[in-house]
Amino acid sequence: MSAIIEIENLTYRYAPDDIIPALDNINLSIKEGQWLAIVGHNGSGKSTLAKAIDGLIAPQEGTIKVAGIKLSEDTVWDIRTNIGMVFQNPDNQFVGADVEGDVAFGMENQGIERSEMVKRVHEALTAVNMSQFAKHEPVRLSGGQKQRVAIAGVLALRPNIVIFDESTSMLDPEGHRDIIKLMKKLNTEEKFTVLSITHDIDEAALADRVVVLDNGKIIADDSPEKIFARGQQLIDLGLDVPYPESLKQELAQLDVVVPKEYLSEEGMIDWLCRLLLKN
Amino acid sequence: MVMSITFEKLSYTYQTGTPFEHHALQDISLTIADHSYTAIIGHTGSGKSTLLQHLNGLLKPTSGKLVVNGQMIDTKTKNKQLGDLRHEVGFVFQFPEAQLFEETVLKDISFGPKNLGKSETEALEIARQKAKLVNLPDDVLEKSPFELSGGQMRRVAIAGILAMQPNILVLDEPTAGLDPKGRIEMMEMFKQLYEKEKLTIILVTHNMNDVANYADNVIVLEQGRLLRQGVPTEIFSNPEWLNKHHLGLPQTTAFALKLQERGINLQELPLTEKKLAQKLAALLQREVK
Repeated sequence: MSAIIEIENLTYRYAPDDIIPALDNINLSIKEGQWLAIVGHNGSGKSTLAKAIDGLIAPQEGTIKVAGIKLSEDTVWDIRTNIGMVFQNPDNQFVGADVEGDVAFGMENQGIERSEMVKRVHEALTAVNMSQFAKHEPVRLSGGQKQRVAIAGVLALRPNIVIFDESTSMLDPEGHRDIIKLMKKLNTEEKFTVLSITHDIDEAALADRVVVLDNGKIIADDSPEKIFARGQQLIDLGLDVPYPESLKQELAQLDVVVPKEYLSEEGMIDWLCRLLLKN
Repeated sequence: MVMSITFEKLSYTYQTGTPFEHHALQDISLTIADHSYTAIIGHTGSGKSTLLQHLNGLLKPTSGKLVVNGQMIDTKTKNKQLGDLRHEVGFVFQFPEAQLFEETVLKDISFGPKNLGKSETEALEIARQKAKLVNLPDDVLEKSPFELSGGQMRRVAIAGILAMQPNILVLDEPTAGLDPKGRIEMMEMFKQLYEKEKLTIILVTHNMNDVANYADNVIVLEQGRLLRQGVPTEIFSNPEWLNKHHLGLPQTTAFALKLQERGINLQELPLTEKKLAQKLAALLQREVK
């Protein structure tokens, strides 16, 4: 599959005299249909990178290509039709008086015909499983439901790439599970390229690939399993330690001999069962 | 004086007598003991925020009453009578750093005590103490709060609340938006305030791990009613009940439950990782022998 996003030698400073650039010579190629998680502690440059890809900030050095088009002042509007962004706080993303109106807002701005809008609103709300709420007031929805409506608004614009910028971090456990499931569906069934900027280990675990940023530089780029095997070091990288890894460390401190390789939850349960249920 | 919080048959209705009438709290009776660490859990819309807003008189009950450290608040309580209460109870709302405004960190923290009539020197002294309490390094005190990282800005805001010298600290999702490291540091800081400064802590959270790791008292709200109150081990002992009410389990308990389903006998379900590791280590050692 071809690269849908290509970033070469990208450097960005918020102020010209910043000693440490917010993005420092980033090279990254993202394949169409891939799910890439971008992780890193607060201030590592994750959101700056997402903004650069969407053309919200103009890098001082380097190039960004989206779907083969080089990002510039002339192409930024074309490029944005490829990209949908979902942010952290669903409450800051509402404009419509009801759910339908809210989903239609982006399309109204693009001057899409009414009959087409009606069709797409319906499709988008079905995709996020919110059709029965079409006439509801957004303020009366739960956090997870609000976030689903925000995602529908993005889908209605038919992007190829959806960027989730810490979109699950303010949701309650149910809303959190809900949105992660929806992200998975969008990637595997609807074939969207997904970029998720996150601290959440469950979200990162679903990605095909995890990129770790630190001080604006890519310091690791690997499969989730390989990244998660770094154990306690993950905390410094801005991620939680996966539960089986941290339990393993606790056990090791109690002089239990534990496997060195990364164990998923299933793997950890199997390992414990093998030891404890011999007969 | 009895230093505790008691709700007696408290109800609160928004927009009474209009078509939008909404019973946010119904018939709540509960006690929060002095120097306890209480977690309030429940869904969006369960009444958590409405309950919190009664604690310092931002809202007054529609019926019933509450008593905070000896001071009674009911329907008839006048705002003038609430002055003392507002020093007693410190509120950390979500994203408290949005309320920073002063030129330097020290000035921002000392703003509250100055308003309470402390002299400049006294207020700055209090500010220095509180900055230390929230683990702000000395070299940031003269900086603008807006130059700091998100986690540090939040500490400045919390120090400003502590500078009012409350006995009760109310925390509404205090770690939202922080990265995992910042979250752990922040939760450990609250633990210190609870243990060393003897504050009563009331924490509203969705994070069941935090409830299991830090709280000694849990209040569960559902649709404006008190569903249950108890110690964490009681609350988390019944996974089916939690599931039915759409509440999560702490990670450890969920993991232990899976082990139990596979036939590993852990007796009772542990809530914290340390406890589970100890149990497993003991079982493993028995196997070896």
